[in-house]
Amino acid sequence: MSSKKFNGHQEMVQLVGRNTAAATFLKSTVRQQQSAQGYRPVLSDDPKPYGAGYSHADILRASSKSKTESTFAPRFDRHISYTDLDDDWDASFDNDVMALGINPNSRSVSPPNTLPRTQSPMAAPDGAGSRSHSPRLELYPTSRRNGGSTAGLKPHYDRIVKDPANSLHMIYHPTVSSVDSASAAEIELLNARISRINKFKRVLQSSNVDISALRNLAWSGIPDELRPMSWQVLLGYLPSNADRRVSTLARKRREYADGVKQAFGNGVDHAVWHQINIDVPRTNPHLKLYSFEATQRSLERILYVWAIRHPASGYVQGINDLVTPFFQVFLSAYIDADVESFDPGLIPKEVLDVVEADSFWCLTKLLDGIQDNYIFAQPGIQRQVAALKDLTQRIDSHLARHLQAENVEFIQFSFRWMNCLLMREVSVKNTIRMWDTYMAEGSTGFSEFHLYVCAAFLVKWSSQIQTMDFQEIMMFLQSLPTQSWTEKDVELLLSEAYMWQSLFKNATAHLRPSGT
Amino acid sequence: MSSLDSAPSAPKPTASVKLVLLGEAAVGKSSLVLRFVSNDFQENKEPTIGAAFLTQKCTLPNRTIKFEIWDTAGQERFASLAPMYYRNAQTALVVYDMTKPTSLIKARHWVNELHAQASPKIVIALVGNKLDLCNEGGENDEEEDRRKISTEEGRKFAEEEGLLFFETSAKTGANVRDVFLAIASKIPEEVVNKRGGVAGAKGRTGAGEGRVDLESRSGENNAGGCAC
Repeated sequence: MSSKKFNGHQEMVQLVGRNTAAATFLKSTVRQQQSAQGYRPVLSDDPKPYGAGYSHADILRASSKSKTESTFAPRFDRHISYTDLDDDWDASFDNDVMALGINPNSRSVSPPNTLPRTQSPMAAPDGAGSRSHSPRLELYPTSRRNGGSTAGLKPHYDRIVKDPANSLHMIYHPTVSSVDSASAAEIELLNARISRINKFKRVLQSSNVDISALRNLAWSGIPDELRPMSWQVLLGYLPSNADRRVSTLARKRREYADGVKQAFGNGVDHAVWHQINIDVPRTNPHLKLYSFEATQRSLERILYVWAIRHPASGYVQGINDLVTPFFQVFLSAYIDADVESFDPGLIPKEVLDVVEADSFWCLTKLLDGIQDNYIFAQPGIQRQVAALKDLTQRIDSHLARHLQAENVEFIQFSFRWMNCLLMREVSVKNTIRMWDTYMAEGSTGFSEFHLYVCAAFLVKWSSQIQTMDFQEIMMFLQSLPTQSWTEKDVELLLSEAYMWQSLFKNATAHLRPSGT
Repeated sequence: MSSLDSAPSAPKPTASVKLVLLGEAAVGKSSLVLRFVSNDFQENKEPTIGAAFLTQKCTLPNRTIKFEIWDTAGQERFASLAPMYYRNAQTALVVYDMTKPTSLIKARHWVNELHAQASPKIVIALVGNKLDLCNEGGENDEEEDRRKISTEEGRKFAEEEGLLFFETSAKTGANVRDVFLAIASKIPEEVVNKRGGVAGAKGRTGAGEGRVDLESRSGENNAGGCAC
């Protein structure tokens, strides 16, 4: 077992080291499909370059302009029936046998340079040839735009791609000389940081990560360098067992790539696609990261594949917000730059593919816990809004009475708090800090604990609200002065929420009908 | 607009009027409101979740209308929230995107629902938005005309249903004020004399200060000092 893994490992490093087009483990899958279905290799001299920013919208445009439009145009029937495989996709499901019978570690995979450089598993056309007439399709990107510069990339990024635990050896600590002039307080802060990082490292480097120890540490915030791996472990995406990490990650990423192919393979569901297509450009529009092509194309694929695989809810506005913390955190694992202004089109495609796949799976994990929020009539949100009202009556009866006297309905202001997990209220950075704690709270973090956070959030403004009338309250609650919040503000909110949770959780009295 | 002295005291009477915006996602509901309220436009405005609340005054020769605007989310999944917002509305803007045929179908749906469920006296305006994307007659050779719904088609539908009709651009501001002015002019005088709006979703009944209450369902006052 271990020697087999080692082989796989060697090959991985070798392949990634060549900076080839697609993630290696993905490539083998493509190749298989290709030979099985007689997929025609692409012409490498097509002039039109596509970076990681290639769009499935382009597929649609290209296709609709083509002569064979009728084969593509509105095909709402899905030829592939998507079963919800999420249970099987749990990290605890340790089975290396692939659906396609491909062993990612197999040494029989041909060297990458025999593959057409322009293929990507993310956009490989379906073998049925329904869209192979489109020349643009076949030109899915090579690794990067500028002939392979590694600007902004961390050294040894390829090792992190393979196993996030490799990032644990690459955490930069300022040397003593660089803090010569630092004050005692600064040195103390630095020492605190280093000791905290070391605590996380001890837990994460163990051959079997102690989840409850990790939760305890994560509750008070995860250092940036350790967040990508910690989140993946806390969400149950990355196995706690170190021996299974590499193979599980490889399998999940390949499954995602296959999922993309399936989802886009037989024409898209136009209604779903349209909605995602119009929402992605207006996701976090204030952050540069989200204005780049590469980001937008990745988010489109993640959201579309998720929506198609979860037909009971489908894509609901707000889910586009929820994917961004993952994308941003996982991207940050590979770069040495401010992630919020970074163009992911600049990194090798195999790295971006991995960021995308990991974001997809972690979004899936998160949404698994709050699916009721997004199905028909959104019962989860309705329930939470009602619970927030009850909780407010118990925590701050004056405020509750004032809101009632002014005819402010809780659903009018807190619907969005539930639907977007307060992401419209606090910055993405602060959301990320909040999610450290949510994930540390376990499977109910994004539902139950979030409720207490909302309660703490509302009563924070109690005295102001009580001086306001209906209109003022509505306007105030829609644009709270929270965009300037610091991490300290968020941590105070979280500790207040914790307090309310310990006081009221499992106290059934607040579940009685309101008005008691 | 004859004032006819229905308001005896000198200062212009102010009425709060609850207005709701309905329409398919991304037709520009929030952008129309932003243009009307702040005379501003944002490319890539975040999708509205649930609904947003805004106010804006509209001054007519004889009175001032204060719009209390509920800008609803367009996505189908949020549609179950809509009745809460249109239930007590005196006026509604049903918005479609002139470059997107499905959005007119959705607009028809909303008009039907309003006729069936909303106040029978509700004033409805049908608004075709994104006029800036319509380059009629190829005035500007550089840009293609993306219009898919003709003015005639929109107007015909509006006439059949007894709606006000406008084509606007929230981006350039074209006709945006006119929509709200026209609606304000259409608000029956009686409503103007009734102080207090219907901002809350479920206001207390019987608290209205108006002397004439033609709509028994809208006799609410929770806006508190709205005549400012």
